[in-house]
Amino acid sequence: MKPMKVPSGLDPADALAAVGALRQLADQLEDAAVEQAMRSGWTWPQIAEALGVTRQAVHKKHAKRLIAAGVHLRRR
Amino acid sequence: MNEFHQYIEAAIADAKSEAEASRSATVEAHHLLLAIAAQEGTTGQQVLASVGLDRAALRDALQREFEHSLEAVGVHPAEYALPASRGKPGKPPRFGPSASVRLAFTRGMGHGDRNPQPVQLLIGILEAEVGTVPRALALAGVDRTELRRRALEALEGGGPAPNGSRSKMHGSTRP
Repeated sequence: MKPMKVPSGLDPADALAAVGALRQLADQLEDAAVEQAMRSGWTWPQIAEALGVTRQAVHKKHAKRLIAAGVHLRRR
Repeated sequence: MNEFHQYIEAAIADAKSEAEASRSATVEAHHLLLAIAAQEGTTGQQVLASVGLDRAALRDALQREFEHSLEAVGVHPAEYALPASRGKPGKPPRFGPSASVRLAFTRGMGHGDRNPQPVQLLIGILEAEVGTVPRALALAGVDRTELRRRALEALEGGGPAPNGSRSKMHGSTRP
């Protein structure tokens, strides 16, 4: 992979702020994607593998929220 | 527990709720700023209100900053149509506390005397020259330096600085 370059003309403050905003967007996207996958019948191990994290980690992070949202949770 | 500690405790609890509702993993200075804006009748809330900043206006400003930051690198959040927060994330944010919150406390406590005042927390937040808060205020057309001056005046005078106007100091740039 080629080393990343900050686009020319991008102010350092904007580039640094973009890093934080992208992390926040990634978190929001993860929440939405996990919920969509669960509603589509994916299992915890499948979601964990797709995200590249452990089953325990993904369960701990999302289970409570999904239950509150009324999503039927499949077995771990 | 004295008034200052009660205020800080309430602000932190409210900031945690803000962080949770926005699905943030940590409590940041901008969550504390939202909490300050919601503490009706406090000096901090009145200083913010003196330039037209209530919680809703701050939320708008922060959202604009988020979108502006993403657009700078070619990402348009509207395209993702992510669901609005339900305020019920699975993992509550840590208050352990984030770097921006630590800095706000350190800077704020550098003012005043041995009896800290609640408004010092706002002063500490406003002293950040980089990061989410100054960027959001700038995008909302608020002069952060002037706002800080008003907060310092309120600290010295024991109340919000009189201004007779709720208008922003640099005019409005909000859509």
